Amino acid sequence: MGSGDEKHICRCEEVSEDEIRAAIRSGARTVQEVKRWTRAGMGICQGRTCRRLVERMLCEELGLKPGEVEVSSFRQPVRPVSLKSFED
Amino acid sequence: MNSSTDVLILGAGVNGLSIAYELCKRGKKVVVAEKAEIGAGASGSCDDMILLQSKKPGILLEMALGSLELFRSLREELPCDIELDTKGGMILIEDEEQLSLMEGFVAGQKSCGLEVEIVGRSRVKALQPLVSESVIASTYSARDSQVNPLLLMKAFYLGASERGLRLLRGAAPVSIEPRAGGWATRLASGEEIESGAVVNAAGAWASQVCSLLGFELPIIPRKGQVMVTEQIPPIGATNVWSAKYIASKLKPVAARREAAGAAQTPEERYGLGFAFTSTHSGNYLVGSTRENAGFDKGTDPEALALIGRQVRRFFPVLANVNFIRSFAGFRPSTTDGMPVIGEVAGRPGFFVAAGHEGDGIALAPITGKLVADLVEGRTPGYDLEKLSPGRFLGAKGA
Ligand SMILES: Cc1cc2nc3c(=O)[nH]c(=O)nc-3n(C[C@H](O)[C@H](O)[C@H](O)COP(=O)(O)OP(=O)(O)OC[C@H]3O[C@@H](n4cnc5c(N)ncnc54)[C@H](O)[C@@H]3O)c2cc1C
Ligand code: FES
Repeated sequence: MGSGDEKHICRCEEVSEDEIRAAIRSGARTVQEVKRWTRAGMGICQGRTCRRLVERMLCEELGLKPGEVEVSSFRQPVRPVSLKSFED
Repeated sequence: MNSSTDVLILGAGVNGLSIAYELCKRGKKVVVAEKAEIGAGASGSCDDMILLQSKKPGILLEMALGSLELFRSLREELPCDIELDTKGGMILIEDEEQLSLMEGFVAGQKSCGLEVEIVGRSRVKALQPLVSESVIASTYSARDSQVNPLLLMKAFYLGASERGLRLLRGAAPVSIEPRAGGWATRLASGEEIESGAVVNAAGAWASQVCSLLGFELPIIPRKGQVMVTEQIPPIGATNVWSAKYIASKLKPVAARREAAGAAQTPEERYGLGFAFTSTHSGNYLVGSTRENAGFDKGTDPEALALIGRQVRRFFPVLANVNFIRSFAGFRPSTTDGMPVIGEVAGRPGFFVAAGHEGDGIALAPITGKLVADLVEGRTPGYDLEKLSPGRFLGAKGA
């Protein structure tokens, strides 16, 4: 993962590796903070694809071990739910 | 490990960070100690409205109007975008009883200088072509605005950091004691911070902080559950609420019913009110409940089903839309519906800035200015008597 390439770490929200590194360099320190600043993890898959990658980048940038980065939690619904399913 | 600073702020929500930004701008040395991480409280789990229409005429509406002006200059001066937008807002009215409630409310707000009016069915249809036929009228104010609270916190944080802010995460205080000329606060890490002033900006947790000094304030968490839709095309010209939402904000139905001894419906039990707001990304936020449920952050299927049915009732077209996430946040709620902003009598240099309930995003800029004025010993431009901690602490102070 060299810097400067436009690879999307979060495909749902189209957040690039550079944007995530920039957020960490300007002060984001947790998966949640990166998510709140860049939207990485807020997409339709709710971070299933990108969360691990963000954790890994936090470790790389901050020189932490994997266990030292706080894991983010999933929120209901685990899969998208149609509003149709709420029958009266 | 000891250090000293001018001001120690407890809590890195939108209010703590706004106060930090303002004090740093005025050249103060500031430390923010946050129990968890930036946005861990209500400010990371809420809607995005700078809603003027929901404010009771009086100091809160005046402060909200002042805050909106500040937002416009903050947008220019802060180091990142805050997605400030003015789309206007409508409060949907479904029956004659709500209509007369809203007529009275709107008249009071107009006299305070807010441009707001009641519009009939044809104007409603023009602004919200997809709204249900059951809506007979609406209020409309072109001035209701919105801002992204997550970016607002980031912007305050970056702006304050450029001016020397030190932010500590995972740093709840274990003791706060008076020292000559100020306070000594010991953190869980063992570090002790001496400061001329301490500002308690711990939101729904503010009373826990006060208890370290041996007193309490009636600030409790009022939980709100919200659903987030997938990204969809715009539904109407404005953001919308229901008159019922305003009614439940002014006086929770649950409380009225309970007083009358009647059984509650599930809607009443959850304090359900309708709020439907778009975000820059095209996701809609659909809410919300107002519950006294302690600090339980979970969302539950019953509440989400009520919220889902409610939005479908107002906008039947949404039946085919997916929601992708739900969350709950804790509005810092006080017994009289007003925030607590001021110095605690008998504790010179200890300030409280908490209890903003459902208005904390809208009021963050003005809160930052007012608290910075108080800390500097200047007279703020508003009469803060009604917000003073003293109103809850009696004559002798804390
Ligand atoms: C569902 C919902 C919708 C909302 N919609 C809107 C809206 O549209 N418009 C609007 O203006 N407002 C809205 N609000 C209200 C708004 O979110 C709050 O009023 C505002 O976020 C409060 O900000 P705060 O900084 O005072 O508190 P918080 O954001 O709660 O921050 C307090 C911080 O203090 C920290 N803390 C706790 N204990 C300690 C301790 N002992 N030491 C140090 N730190 C501590 C917490 O971790 C937290 O980070 C909504 C709220 C909810 C729940
Ligand atoms: S890849 Fe990031 S939310 Fe789906």
